[in-house]
Amino acid sequence: MSNYFYVSPEQLIKDRAEFAQKGIARGRSIVAAIYDVGVLMVAENPSASLNKISEIYDRIAFAGVGKYNEFDRLREAGIRWADGTGFTYSREDVDARALANYYAQHIGDMFTEGQKPLEVEVLVAQLGTAIRPTKLFRIAYEGTISDEPRYAVLGGDAEAIKSRFGASESDLEPLDVTLRNAVAALANADRTIEVPDLEVCVLEDNGGRRTFTRLTDERVAALLGT
Amino acid sequence: MGLPLFSASDDPGPSFVRFAELSGLVDEPSGAGADTRHATTVIAVRYVGGVVMVGDRQATSSYIASRDVRKIEAADRFTALAISGSAARGLEFIRMAQLSFEHYEKMTDTSLSLEGKANYLSPIIQRNNLSTPLMVIPLLAGWDPSHRDGRIFEYDGAGGCYERRDFATIGSGSPFAESALRLGFRTDLDREAALELGALAIYEAGDNDPSTGGPDFVRNLYPMIVTLDENGFTEMAADEVAARFVAINQRRTESQGVAGGSLR
Repeated sequence: MSNYFYVSPEQLIKDRAEFAQKGIARGRSIVAAIYDVGVLMVAENPSASLNKISEIYDRIAFAGVGKYNEFDRLREAGIRWADGTGFTYSREDVDARALANYYAQHIGDMFTEGQKPLEVEVLVAQLGTAIRPTKLFRIAYEGTISDEPRYAVLGGDAEAIKSRFGASESDLEPLDVTLRNAVAALANADRTIEVPDLEVCVLEDNGGRRTFTRLTDERVAALLGT
Repeated sequence: MGLPLFSASDDPGPSFVRFAELSGLVDEPSGAGADTRHATTVIAVRYVGGVVMVGDRQATSSYIASRDVRKIEAADRFTALAISGSAARGLEFIRMAQLSFEHYEKMTDTSLSLEGKANYLSPIIQRNNLSTPLMVIPLLAGWDPSHRDGRIFEYDGAGGCYERRDFATIGSGSPFAESALRLGFRTDLDREAALELGALAIYEAGDNDPSTGGPDFVRNLYPMIVTLDENGFTEMAADEVAARFVAINQRRTESQGVAGGSLR
């Protein structure tokens, strides 16, 4: 006969939180920031094929940190949800807030009820239209959803990066300035990140329906002025 | 709809159609309406460096139901999809195809090859046409960036997919459009000659087939002309299309309605 030991809910949550935080802290961070005409997402990612940032819909992007297989599954579910919703209703009915809520519910459920919490943090970014605002929704490992006003940082080192980035930006800047600040905040004073190790994507209106663009290394180097 | 998560064994992968079926977004089609709209004649002609597509604008049930239907749509940047047969099922089919190609691209971060797109459509057509009398016959044409060539894929009613190296026609005006193309096609057509031949083929179909709308000078509505080349899908401006059909009509008027054996 096995014995069950009593574990207080406080202790259980604390253990689970520590477990998730540790997993997330192993990976590199992401900075997302609204600039004067769009949304920028920058990840430190040495892999050119295992992406952390992805297109979800015409004006919605996804970014994830932590365990790749876990956030990639959420990314795929997000694309399916968006394409399915747009197919059933109309393209303009696909709203980032609804998707962010679904992510928050799922991640929250996994945190409390799953075999183990998901070791991920995800971001849902939306480029605004006449009827919807530009938004950054950050969903933490325990399912907390936060609506970040101008920029969001995901990953283990979030607080330090956030304070560095926050100190450098006071107002909505053009893309090149925002990118330079974001890369500097990701790096910190005593190390630099090479262009091939950066994954940079933007949501910006370019006349078409789709607004997501993955910037090439050449474009990133040109914007950084290196 | 909640967040569509699947276990690794039931995962529909990057196919939107498979996902839509698994999650009940689409129903199996069944039955037929007595008075459904039919869309007709579209042609595609290859030329050196691309493909020209021309389609009429009329939808017909027991009367002319619409004079300005768009039967050719960009499926993505380098691919065009045209439909004939049931307008309702056809437009749904185009929507499904557009969404599927984009879905695949977002899921995998790579584009489907042109041949991949052509093959993907086969089972969709097969399922539609074998389960309902609302037949749809599409025509797929595109610029293939990996082969650096314009390519045309036509389908039969059972979903069979066949690549055509010259030209293809769909819809009720096909016999007349095809005759014009058979006489006028050469392997070394340039863009201008292909545009002229394509427009003439649809003019012929509109002239002889009651379900195909020719140029409508009264309402200033003309067939649709698109080109697919290394720059992607381009729809010709309305005034340029009008000028072409006005010119053809002018020649026909001068010859009193007789083509005169010279592909005028």
